[in-house]
Amino acid sequence: MDPECSQLLPALCAVLADPRQPMADDTCLEKLLDWFKTITEAGSSLLLLQENPCLVELLCHVLKPQDLSSRVLSFSLRLTGVFAAQEDCFQYLQGDSSLFVASAAGQLLVHILSLSMRGPAEGPPGLQADDWPACAQKIVGHIEESLRSTAAPQITQALNVLTTTFGHCHDPWTQVLWVQLHPLVAALLEKDPVPAAHSLVDLLLSVARSPGLSSSSCGLWETLAQTLSHLSPTQAGLLALGILKLQDCPQALRAQAFAVLLQPLACVLKATAQGPGPSGLLDSTSADSVTADILLPSKAACVGLLCRTLAHLELLLPLPQRPCPWPQAPLLGAAVTLLQLCGGSGSPASDEGRQLCTLLLGCVRVQRAALDFLGTLSQETGPPELVTQVFAVLLEYLRSPDSSPTVLKKAFQATFRWLLSSPRTPGCSDLDSHALLFLRELLPVLQKRLCSPCWEVRDSGLEFLTQMTRRWGGQAGFRHALLASEVPRLTEQLLRDPESYVRASAVTAMGQLSSQGLCVPPASPEHPGGQQKSLLGELLHILSTDSEGFPRRAVMQVFTQWLRDSHADVVGDTEQFVAGVLQVAGQDLDWEVRAQGLELALVFLEQTLGPPRSHCPYAVTPPVAAPASPLTQALQPLCRVRLFEFAFRALFDCDRPVAQKSCDLLLLLRAKMASSSSLQEPRSSPDVASVEAALQRWRAGDQAQPLGDLEPEVVLAVLRSMDLEGLRGALAESSDHVEKSPQSLLQDMLATVGILGENEADCY
Amino acid sequence: MPEIRVTPLGAGQDVGRSCILVSIAGKNVMLDCGMHMGFNDDRRFPDFSYITRSGRLTDFLDCVIISHFHLDHCGALPYFSEMVGYDGPIYMTHPTQAICPILLEDYRKIAVDKKGEANFFTSQMIKDCMKKVVAVHLHQTVQVDDELEIKAYYAGHVLGAAMFQIKVGSESVVYTGDYNMTPDRHLGAAWIDRCRPNLLITESTYATTIRDSKRCRERDFLKKVHEAVERGGKVLIPVFALGRAQELCILLETFWERMNLKAPIYFSTGLTEKANHYYKLFITWTNQKIRKTFVQRNMFEFKHIKAFDRAFADNPGPMVVFATPGMLHAGQSLQIFRKWAGNEKNMGTVGHKILSGQRKLEMEGRQVLEVKMQVEYMSFSAHADAKGIMQLVGQVEPEGVLLVHGEAKKMEFLKQKIEQELRVSCYMPANGETVTLPTSPSIPVGISLGLLKREMAQGLLPDAKKPRLLHGTLIMKDSNFRLVSSEQALKELGLAEHQLRFTCRVHLHDPRKEQETALRVYSHLKRWAPRSFWLGLGRSGARGGSHCASRQRPQGPLRAAPSRWVRDCGVHPHPGCCPLRGPRHQGAAGVLDLPG
Repeated sequence: MDPECSQLLPALCAVLADPRQPMADDTCLEKLLDWFKTITEAGSSLLLLQENPCLVELLCHVLKPQDLSSRVLSFSLRLTGVFAAQEDCFQYLQGDSSLFVASAAGQLLVHILSLSMRGPAEGPPGLQADDWPACAQKIVGHIEESLRSTAAPQITQALNVLTTTFGHCHDPWTQVLWVQLHPLVAALLEKDPVPAAHSLVDLLLSVARSPGLSSSSCGLWETLAQTLSHLSPTQAGLLALGILKLQDCPQALRAQAFAVLLQPLACVLKATAQGPGPSGLLDSTSADSVTADILLPSKAACVGLLCRTLAHLELLLPLPQRPCPWPQAPLLGAAVTLLQLCGGSGSPASDEGRQLCTLLLGCVRVQRAALDFLGTLSQETGPPELVTQVFAVLLEYLRSPDSSPTVLKKAFQATFRWLLSSPRTPGCSDLDSHALLFLRELLPVLQKRLCSPCWEVRDSGLEFLTQMTRRWGGQAGFRHALLASEVPRLTEQLLRDPESYVRASAVTAMGQLSSQGLCVPPASPEHPGGQQKSLLGELLHILSTDSEGFPRRAVMQVFTQWLRDSHADVVGDTEQFVAGVLQVAGQDLDWEVRAQGLELALVFLEQTLGPPRSHCPYAVTPPVAAPASPLTQALQPLCRVRLFEFAFRALFDCDRPVAQKSCDLLLLLRAKMASSSSLQEPRSSPDVASVEAALQRWRAGDQAQPLGDLEPEVVLAVLRSMDLEGLRGALAESSDHVEKSPQSLLQDMLATVGILGENEADCY
Repeated sequence: MPEIRVTPLGAGQDVGRSCILVSIAGKNVMLDCGMHMGFNDDRRFPDFSYITRSGRLTDFLDCVIISHFHLDHCGALPYFSEMVGYDGPIYMTHPTQAICPILLEDYRKIAVDKKGEANFFTSQMIKDCMKKVVAVHLHQTVQVDDELEIKAYYAGHVLGAAMFQIKVGSESVVYTGDYNMTPDRHLGAAWIDRCRPNLLITESTYATTIRDSKRCRERDFLKKVHEAVERGGKVLIPVFALGRAQELCILLETFWERMNLKAPIYFSTGLTEKANHYYKLFITWTNQKIRKTFVQRNMFEFKHIKAFDRAFADNPGPMVVFATPGMLHAGQSLQIFRKWAGNEKNMGTVGHKILSGQRKLEMEGRQVLEVKMQVEYMSFSAHADAKGIMQLVGQVEPEGVLLVHGEAKKMEFLKQKIEQELRVSCYMPANGETVTLPTSPSIPVGISLGLLKREMAQGLLPDAKKPRLLHGTLIMKDSNFRLVSSEQALKELGLAEHQLRFTCRVHLHDPRKEQETALRVYSHLKRWAPRSFWLGLGRSGARGGSHCASRQRPQGPLRAAPSRWVRDCGVHPHPGCCPLRGPRHQGAAGVLDLPG
């Protein structure tokens, strides 16, 4: 602790101990605690307490019964924990940032139990529960009593304490504890309904995951199986998912858990089956009446169960330990059926199916969940007729006027994922003929969506177009279909959309289309090529005039990419392009545009001087080819585009990331200078002095005067004389580092003493 | 027993990071999703682990409602929707929808640019979050799903601020967000229907304050600014770009016009132009005066207030500058403060340190800045004071009140005041504490036309204001309740009517002659027995009927008995099994309790 803080601390402790001095702002107590944590992590807490006796006094003082605010009391208790954490038994306590008292109390019990079981110096207590220390026995007694209680909150608390215990403690005594409590936990399953089902599931999974327990000997698998069958389908899903995630567990239990997860979808398939016969999902248990009972009578229960089931299966699919064989085809069928029911295109024959149809018609929640699930299912293939159905239902959603913006966005995402997975030939990323046929149907729909009155829909449409173009823009089939549609023309129109988010997405999409040579409309009498305004001009116009930051940032990203890819519009006169863009970007009010300008400058610099050398000491670097011409000559193009004026200005930018980026760029350049054979001795000239003087003024905030045309020699001399490393160090500190310092915190806390809590309300 | 549960994840006994979970009739709604400006790490966001522990958020929550655009009410939204993973709808008013992303973007800039924070939400996340927003109009009933509906009311406070009524069936909760019960220069006063919700969740920032006249505060402000400018000083007014800034701009603009003052007034941020643009766009949300004069002159097109350029700060002579951010923690207001603090002619209002009287401040690079300028603190905050809160509670007539967004001690005071003066139970949960309120649902019951006609025949016309008892038999079939005549009930349920004769032997010790005694008993029975017997039956039906007419809570076993009886009737497979038992039997026996 630095001496300034040490001086402030006694006064602060006195304030904290005084119940008449309320602390107006509790965040400062939290921050104080953070600070003490960093101090104790760095050094001995004992030493800290010895050097600052006021802390001990405070801790002793708060223990006396008095009218102390609960904030200060809880702060002091946690502070004690911070100091004790060095004894490592309290460490978990500190990790608990929970707001909730019950949870904190539970955590405390676990830590006391764990601490008492660690035992004194003569070794841990024996494995017989009767030999356990009185304190541990008392806690276990309390848990037992709570588990026997009829009050649900008490049972919940006890289960939560046990969950934390088995989650954190893996010593042999935990097995003894489980054997002792197991019958009480199992007894909960006999009750109808099962109390505190969520907490019970958490506990059983925590025990199953615990490395300290050998599951087979403790009857855990039996209890898990029993729980799966006792809980209602809505509650059992989470347990089933947890069981399937376990690394090793009996195959029968896994099968039972998977059946629980699949049941609701099996019910849907059964209810909507066109003819008799197995649906392919859970043939043996498909007639599960419990699930059907939950699915059918109430909309809320039906929607809740289906959404949860879909979410659980979505989580399970990418896991390596997912069940094998994976019933891909029936699951695809179920997802498609659900989407059809929600969209109103399903026509089930049975009564149950019709009932389900009534419940799900237009249900956005199920639509969202089913589309997400369908998208995830694209990781696997399916039978061709089902894949055709998938594309058909996706098209139906993209076409439907009833689809909400969120549903449409998800439909676009799922479509993209299925298009990605559609190639039949491994290793080939091209769209196959089926996908191309689908694309021909899709593009008119996209066209319509780009004209939607909802900005959300237009934007999602543009994002989808960008994704597709990035992926298949080079493929003939895609190009042909896209150019035959109105999509490129509409995208161009959206550059002038009233919504800035849409303009930004249109800029990105047009940039992508243009990179692939896809935005030029076919020559026709209506669109004589000469009258078309060039896209470059259009984007420059947006960069210099758009009132919102997003489109301007998007333009800068497109330009940087174009420069990197040597885009045709740029290659013509690269220097003029870079100079023009940097000039506009340098005046932009949005720091991200200016930072992006530096990115563009960096690309240009690398193209002019060659790529930077690898910093990795072990990398095999080819011998550096010295520039054919001296460095000063190589710098000429950079000077001509006024890159240095832009970079120097950015170096003193009031927005830190801009200054940091510029500093990095100039340091890179200096490194190149150092490696260059044309390294010259620093020299001073009138030009250098005037530039340095101008830079001094810029640094002071007066950036009115331009630097004018700079010669490479002057630039090199100025670069050599600048303390760029020092500047980088200064820039690494955040702008509020002074205000954030512990000393400032202590001063703030002392300063607010006695001021009524009236003022802070006005901050909001 | 149905109940409403409320758990604040933020704003429970504190100001900042408003986030309140409400469960009403099985629906879960999150009210506001704010962040705490005092923290730089994840503690700035509410602790969502409370909801995420039991599975996916989207499965748990039915909707999120944002009351207004202040960051302590909406700042955690992109984090919540894009990083924690909420996928459902977010409701807010149109002005809030327009301004919210600008402030979020601005805050992101400060966090990422000035403080260099990584792992913060991105612009793309703000956009994706805003795509989930559904904008609502004032007084428009929005159907979130088949059962849950919400409705917005005007709250004053800032442009687009709204109170929300959340309703499921007959149960409802009103959430005020932040509100102001007195109109100011650019916004009107909060207004809401007398909607008699089960619970009113109200902010209580000024729970103990009765604020002095706004006119006095304004005069004081103008006087001080005027004096500083007359001395040739510079006035720095740190503000947040949207909200109170516009109020002060109107105030100064009018004053400058009236006094014909020439000293320049600047507003330092690009945000202001945008802010003023939105004030013009949503002019219907401003107060009556601004709306009326809008045609001749737009109050937000200022004549005296110009955009600020950082070079102006060095100009000689007096000037007034509005600069963001309001607490001088970064940015332009701090830069200007550093320039001007050393001159005693200048005046400024600043953050914690200076406000609390510190005169020597450490700045970057261990430089010490001596504050010689005059520092004034003036409150123009637009929250309802204690009187306003009481007024709103009176206006809404809730069954219970729950206080949030205030300090515990002040809440305690207001809680007592509400309970004593308004006789309404009041709660003030801390963060993470759940308040559970039992509710008495009203169950709709259909009445058969025949029964209604029979009642009407007695000459009493229905009157919505006077609930009255209706005698009949309550039938539950396919989760629906119907009140029908007993004959119809028997017919519909396929039950045969049974007549029961009760006999019992009674020993009468009466000195009179046998015939006389018999006559006495006969006349007594004639007078009481039949009526009492049928009254017993009739009352059972009537109790069921009263369920739909009034919203009183069932109070005793008598209420429970008839419905159980009817349910037994409805599902009993044996028509011969007579349902008459229990209370009615006792009623018949009581007849023989002869008077003295």
